[in-house]
Amino acid sequence: MPKLIKNKPYGVLQNGFFAAVDDYPIAGGWGLKGKLFAVGDASGSVHAFDGTSGQEIWKNTEAHVGGIMSLSVSPNGTQLASVGQDGQLTIWNFADGQLQHQTEIASGWVEHVAWSKSGNYLAVSSGRVVTNLSSSGEKIWSSEKHPSTVSALGWVTDQELSTACYGRVTFFNTSSGQENERLEWQGSLVSLALSPDGNIIACGSQDKSVHFWRRSNGQDSMMSGYPWKPSELAFSHDGLLLATGGGEDVTIWSFEGNGPEGTTPGVLEFHQAPVSSLAFSPHQRHLASGCREGGVVVWSVGKKGTGRGLGGAPVSGSVENVYWRPDGRSLAAIDAEGGITVWRVKKI
Amino acid sequence: MNSPSKVPVTILTGFLGSGKTTLLNRILSEEHGKRIAVIENEYGEVGIDQALVINADEEIFEMSNGCICCTVRGDLIRVLGNLMKRRDKFDYILLETTGLADPGPVAQTFFMDDEIASEFSLDGIVTLVDAHHIHQQLGRSQESTEQIAFADVILLNKTDLVKAQDLDALEARLREMNRLARVHRCERANVAIPTVLNLEAFNLDQVLVNHPTFLEPEYPFEWTGVFALTPGSYELSLDDGPDPTMSLVIVEDLEPNEEALQQGAEWCVRRYAEPASRISPENAIPMGQHVELQLQLSGRKSFAIEIEKQTTLALFAQHTAEEFNLSLAVSNNADAPLQTSNASTANPVTLAGLLPVLERTWVAQHEHDDEVSSVAIEADGDVNANKLNAWLAKLLREKGVDIFRMKGFISIAGESQRFVFQGVHMLFDGHPERPWGNDPRHNQLVFIGRNLEGDTMKREFEACLN
Repeated sequence: MPKLIKNKPYGVLQNGFFAAVDDYPIAGGWGLKGKLFAVGDASGSVHAFDGTSGQEIWKNTEAHVGGIMSLSVSPNGTQLASVGQDGQLTIWNFADGQLQHQTEIASGWVEHVAWSKSGNYLAVSSGRVVTNLSSSGEKIWSSEKHPSTVSALGWVTDQELSTACYGRVTFFNTSSGQENERLEWQGSLVSLALSPDGNIIACGSQDKSVHFWRRSNGQDSMMSGYPWKPSELAFSHDGLLLATGGGEDVTIWSFEGNGPEGTTPGVLEFHQAPVSSLAFSPHQRHLASGCREGGVVVWSVGKKGTGRGLGGAPVSGSVENVYWRPDGRSLAAIDAEGGITVWRVKKI
Repeated sequence: MNSPSKVPVTILTGFLGSGKTTLLNRILSEEHGKRIAVIENEYGEVGIDQALVINADEEIFEMSNGCICCTVRGDLIRVLGNLMKRRDKFDYILLETTGLADPGPVAQTFFMDDEIASEFSLDGIVTLVDAHHIHQQLGRSQESTEQIAFADVILLNKTDLVKAQDLDALEARLREMNRLARVHRCERANVAIPTVLNLEAFNLDQVLVNHPTFLEPEYPFEWTGVFALTPGSYELSLDDGPDPTMSLVIVEDLEPNEEALQQGAEWCVRRYAEPASRISPENAIPMGQHVELQLQLSGRKSFAIEIEKQTTLALFAQHTAEEFNLSLAVSNNADAPLQTSNASTANPVTLAGLLPVLERTWVAQHEHDDEVSSVAIEADGDVNANKLNAWLAKLLREKGVDIFRMKGFISIAGESQRFVFQGVHMLFDGHPERPWGNDPRHNQLVFIGRNLEGDTMKREFEACLN
């Protein structure tokens, strides 16, 4: 077990830099192959920091009126898309913060944004409607109203987009906007994660369970017994492991063999407060977890889902999210006090 | 349980046109030092710049298994989840519901979602009522009935459009439906801010501090008169009236103002619950005790009241003064020192007796056939915890859907502290509160619900007593 030593990272985590923004950081993302790290905050500002030194490279304090809701980095790392409470989608040149496109999506909050895997499309959702746009911000189609607010978005492939809302997951054809499939589940789905091959779609539900479907054979299962709603989900790069939050422990389901049905999940115990963020490293079965009391831990997770701590570090407030640099050699955490903490991750 | 760092939330309900927007604007424009975030459902009604106004799209869903008690507002979970990240911008939330909303799912959201429950505390439910139109609405719509049933505070608005006697009848009808709520009359929603904000109505630890007997009681007395008296002997006299006896509690040193009167009334409710001593005519009435005046003899009867030092004396009488032609006068008993000349500078003397400096008629109970009503249970003694658990579990299982609110405190056998509880539908929250000390141990429970069988509930509760 790692120990969090006062203000010092432990194990594989080594001091990188610390920066801060003036308001609650809502989302972040690495750009330009890890050269820059951008953060959007609750005041509507976007800041970009040098990924090594932490020096602020650019900022725009009027990116959105009334708060950023979500950010997404284009797959090649050159563009940053932001959505906000002002109903706008804005695309920025990641290198210098130049505004490239701005599109009004709705009159209310635009809650989610996600680039497709090729970077050709951008999906956004506002209220009950999901909209697909080209990479230059032109609308291609908008969906009919879902039965309730879209709570999560996920690209299955470049040809297919998925959404979660109360009672169902919906799959849309990217070019036509037609529905390909609906997977129904009587519950309020609050999060969504797709395995890298797009076969498994997992959703956390308000009723403290995780539901997943295998699209190849239609088989689905539910895992329940979480003390909190599992709003954090993450697949490992090879699709073998699904890490889930929903309490102080991280619960990891392994899809090895015929699992996870009939298997016991791995449980990673360390955090003393509910887990608030989870992310697998891009190339290894290394998991970063952050919690509401402000600790980040990196775990090495085996094929069966059991794991051991590799390192950890305290941060200044409740961890909002953690982001691996695309090469997996650095880890960033944004926290409720406005802190942006970046560590170098030792190779093991 | 509320921790001080939680952001309080007031839910504002009421039919379209009841004055919600007026009240909202009044609260937002008044100097109260609070930074308020407003969550509203009806688009664009509030046009206040300084407030953080967020629109929410009412989305009701079941948390699990189709139980009404697990019904919450999904949109609120998301909006509040986002507001948590902006906590430095505000310190209070006003949540306005649509006129047609059932307050149940809104209230339940604050208990059913862990994240919301850890950051926000439901402070109270304020229901605005259009005094001019509510009679028709209550007959016709389930929602308006539910809004009354859930309320901690009912604001009887637009009273200027309604005759005083109709207002009294309306207030009585609303009290009968919801005896937990405080009723305030107003015009153009002109209420003082403390009557609607920071009520801590859902904070169990505050319930008893604010209202030692929190029942808006169906007062056992109908009339109170406060008299300013100098030392001497006085005579309380009554004619024949509708009953052969009349209960009375006399309170000494009660300040002649509304607040003291309310406190005195609450105190007297407790005295009235104690056994009465029978007092026959010509005898002295003891202070601060529940007495039952014996009025069986025909003709005017007198009772003695002895005053040793200057005081303001409050008579809490079971019936109104008119019913028995009650009067208080300086005694003309020859044995007593003559006091007439200096008896009273504060009380004008009439031939009939002294006039009270303050007089109050309490809203009496009225019968209505509303399907929503309050059931209040009061009993002295201790309850058996196991029996009580079994009864409450059964009650909530069978009637939870129909019970909108409940509150109470219970004296559990063998426990030194009061057990306080409250609930919304089947959600039940309770814990031990302050010690009983020397106070008489008793129980007070109130349920507000639809088609409740009060007599059965009372009987079943009494069966739980040791």
